[in-house]
Amino acid sequence: MTPNAASSPAVLTLKDITRRRAGRRAVENLNLELHAGQVLGLLGVNGAGKSTTLSMIAGALRPDSGDILLNGRDFLEYPELACQRLGWLPERAPLWAELTVSEHLDAHGQLRGITGKRLRDARHAIVERLELQPLARRLAGVLSQGQRQRLGLACALLHRPALLVLDEPANALDPVQVAALRALIREQAAAGTAVILSTHLLAEVTAVCDRVAILHEGTLRHDGPVGVDDHAALERTFFDIAMSGDASLAHAA
Amino acid sequence: MSQAWAGTFAVARLEWRRLIMRPLAWLLAAMTLAWLAWNFTLMMGAFLASQIQRAALPDGPGFTDLVAVPLLAQLAQLAFLVVPLLTMSVIAGERRNGTLPLLFAAGLPASRIVLGKYLAVVGWLLLWLLLTLAMPLVLAHLSRLDWGKLAAATLGLALMLATLAALGVACSTFASHPAIAAAAALILTLMLWSVNFGAQMAGINGGAVNWLAMSTHLQALLRGLVSTTDVIWFLLLVILSLTLATHRLAADRERN
Repeated sequence: MTPNAASSPAVLTLKDITRRRAGRRAVENLNLELHAGQVLGLLGVNGAGKSTTLSMIAGALRPDSGDILLNGRDFLEYPELACQRLGWLPERAPLWAELTVSEHLDAHGQLRGITGKRLRDARHAIVERLELQPLARRLAGVLSQGQRQRLGLACALLHRPALLVLDEPANALDPVQVAALRALIREQAAAGTAVILSTHLLAEVTAVCDRVAILHEGTLRHDGPVGVDDHAALERTFFDIAMSGDASLAHAA
Repeated sequence: MSQAWAGTFAVARLEWRRLIMRPLAWLLAAMTLAWLAWNFTLMMGAFLASQIQRAALPDGPGFTDLVAVPLLAQLAQLAFLVVPLLTMSVIAGERRNGTLPLLFAAGLPASRIVLGKYLAVVGWLLLWLLLTLAMPLVLAHLSRLDWGKLAAATLGLALMLATLAALGVACSTFASHPAIAAAAALILTLMLWSVNFGAQMAGINGGAVNWLAMSTHLQALLRGLVSTTDVIWFLLLVILSLTLATHRLAADRERN
């Protein structure tokens, strides 16, 4: 995190976000703030509400109540904010199987209003940064899961967003690619991008995040700083929260 | 160009690219154009064989009535099957692939997503119509074409294809699976075509049921009669279908 990140205006503010899914409350009265250069790790067991929260932040899902502010402006009133300021890598990196890697980047750029030389330059830069040159002409439908993740990440970063939302980005990546991903997240944060990283891996959080939020049954149970040496403490906090009210999990542990 | 229109065209470009990369679109184009070319050859043969008889009738049917318009009428019949297959995946396929949220996350309103996808499909269908139309047009210098009648028939076909595309996009928006979308679009368009058959069999011509039927409006245009009522009927159906599709897609963001 940059030294004065917390004192800068919030890039993202969630105010009392609530959302019901499949007849139950997936997220309830969630409040969060994220500043430029911060990397927030979002932890929680399956069904805790992480992906629902990220989908709402990305604009793919509407909250039932509450406000989402990007740079202090209501995201629902100004949908173009999402277009310009937000990059999202959804879980399992959904792609259009019929498009090549290059065409994917072009499509994402055009959807976000980038065209011509600006688009070519942005595509060139991100292809180089994520080492996608050998895959440029390959159809997305034939990529391995790791390659899909990299392409999804490239699409999320193409327009240099102020807020990067990553839903389990390390899925299916090999250890070398995980290390490269961590370096990339740190690099983005150093450049002033606010990053939210949803993951199941506690080690992922302690390695790259400077803050951690733990969701359980749709509510925020913990929000605090975290560092590389905090793995044991984070593990304790996580399991305390995860096992509260879940007897089966407690029994299994 | 405003950002909303830029988004619409970006969706249209994306859908067009996906469309031309799918083997189904090529297969449909190749099979239907081969079928139409074969029928065109047969109709030409019959037209040439009847030349002597027709010479005795100075005001009798010509090349436009016996070849060009019947060819377009065959295209209309094929469209009932082709359009649902072409439109079935536009939204239902995106929903199944999990790529629909990517379009929402780009800040595009549902109306722009629907319109962009619709424009791409209509573009493909107009190209299909032009390739079919090219068959009689290459013989235009050898025969006497009734340009007015051909223009009216082409307008009718273009309106029909635009309407079927809008219905197909709407069905794809409501369906959870592309196959269901295709079946729904086929049933809906066939119902719309034949809604007045019962009334006609009972000897009732005219009235509201006849006005509802697509056949009433297309057949008038194929005969060379362009009326504002027919054009408005097609446009109303396009607007209604796209509006329903937009509302359903917007609800996806609220519902899922």
